[in-house]
Amino acid sequence: MSQLQLNAAEDLINANERWARDVIKHDPNFFKDSATDSQRPKVLWIGCSDSRVPASVVTASMPGDIFTHTNIANQFHSFDDNVNSVLSYAVDPVGVKHVVLVGHSVCGGAQSAIQAAEQGPVEPYDPLTRWLAPLVQLVRTLDLHGLPENEAVDKVVEANIRKQVENICLSEPIVTAWATGKNVSVHGWVYDLATGRIRELVVRSPPCANASSC
Amino acid sequence: MSHESMQTLLNANEEWAQNVIKGTPDFFTQSATGQSPKILWIGCSDSRVPESVITASKPGDIFVHRNIANQFHLNDDSALSVLTYAVKVVGIEHVVLVGHTNCGGAAACLKAAEDAAADTGAPQPDTPLTRWLSPLIALVQSLDLSACSASEALDKVVQTNIITQVDNICNSEPITTAWADPNAKKVTVHGWVYDLARGRIDELVFREAQA
Repeated sequence: MSQLQLNAAEDLINANERWARDVIKHDPNFFKDSATDSQRPKVLWIGCSDSRVPASVVTASMPGDIFTHTNIANQFHSFDDNVNSVLSYAVDPVGVKHVVLVGHSVCGGAQSAIQAAEQGPVEPYDPLTRWLAPLVQLVRTLDLHGLPENEAVDKVVEANIRKQVENICLSEPIVTAWATGKNVSVHGWVYDLATGRIRELVVRSPPCANASSC
Repeated sequence: MSHESMQTLLNANEEWAQNVIKGTPDFFTQSATGQSPKILWIGCSDSRVPESVITASKPGDIFVHRNIANQFHLNDDSALSVLTYAVKVVGIEHVVLVGHTNCGGAAACLKAAEDAAADTGAPQPDTPLTRWLSPLIALVQSLDLSACSASEALDKVVQTNIITQVDNICNSEPITTAWADPNAKKVTVHGWVYDLARGRIDELVFREAQA
């Protein structure tokens, strides 16, 4: 361990030790079982890297419950191998039944995109600017005139969630899953930082395999 | 189409939020005013390694990026934009790259390397997942696993992967810039392994700016 006295990284390792001991007290086989059984989560969470939205904490979930991917502003870019490989692996072999795309209020990525859109077109020159370029484009399609800042951000956050859900539904893993009758639905959720509550904005279910089962 | 498990999650969120407010009435309103985590966690998407649960952390503690097999590729805008935002905007002080035992991504790469060595004939399909894992497959192929049992081989791949990703992070622009600037906030990069069978994190390696 580093030579620094108590620091945030050391605190984390110490907290992990206490947590693990607590878990074993209540369920002595929890970790052994977790290691030998392969994971079988039913949910893939694609969310924002924001520290205030930890997937398993805000849903009071246990290890094993939620397969998780987070990035700046909860994006699903069709050309991004990172998120596409997560979705692909989650659908098969992991076998999730629900993909939840989760945005949140007061999103720094959304705020940055609004500022960038006001500045006019700029050649993306670093990974973060390139990453946010599609979101900046989305902002330009929205009418934010006259809106106070927090309402403008809310509008962008919600439009972003709906857009990313569309992107997911057009992705190869989902198109293939639905074409082969796999039971996977895609949800768009928004987490309100000020209340700690999740609200479902939109859900897309597989189209019926045949008319008689609708 | 039943969404029972979704409703269960939403109900769990409602109950959790109510409990938090009972204990700390202004927790969420305060949280909404800003974030100042000290840690960026780059880990695996594996459901058994939820960073905030296994470290008993609260919302606001850990900035997070999780992907298949906890990779940090120097040409990946997703991970690079997270690291850039975390270091330059949020001001984190520690980057922890966290791998774990029984990693499915690492196991898949071991198998792919074995298949390639056995020359089974069929070329790998070009998909996001195979592209994503190709650096790790190449890493596996560079290791001498001849004396290892299957589980020893997986452990060796997991550990070597962690150290390689730490090296990648240390070579990235946000870190090299921070380390070259005497006025920049101090950032330390750590490589950790989470042992699923014990529920425990061990530190393998850490790197700091050279004095």
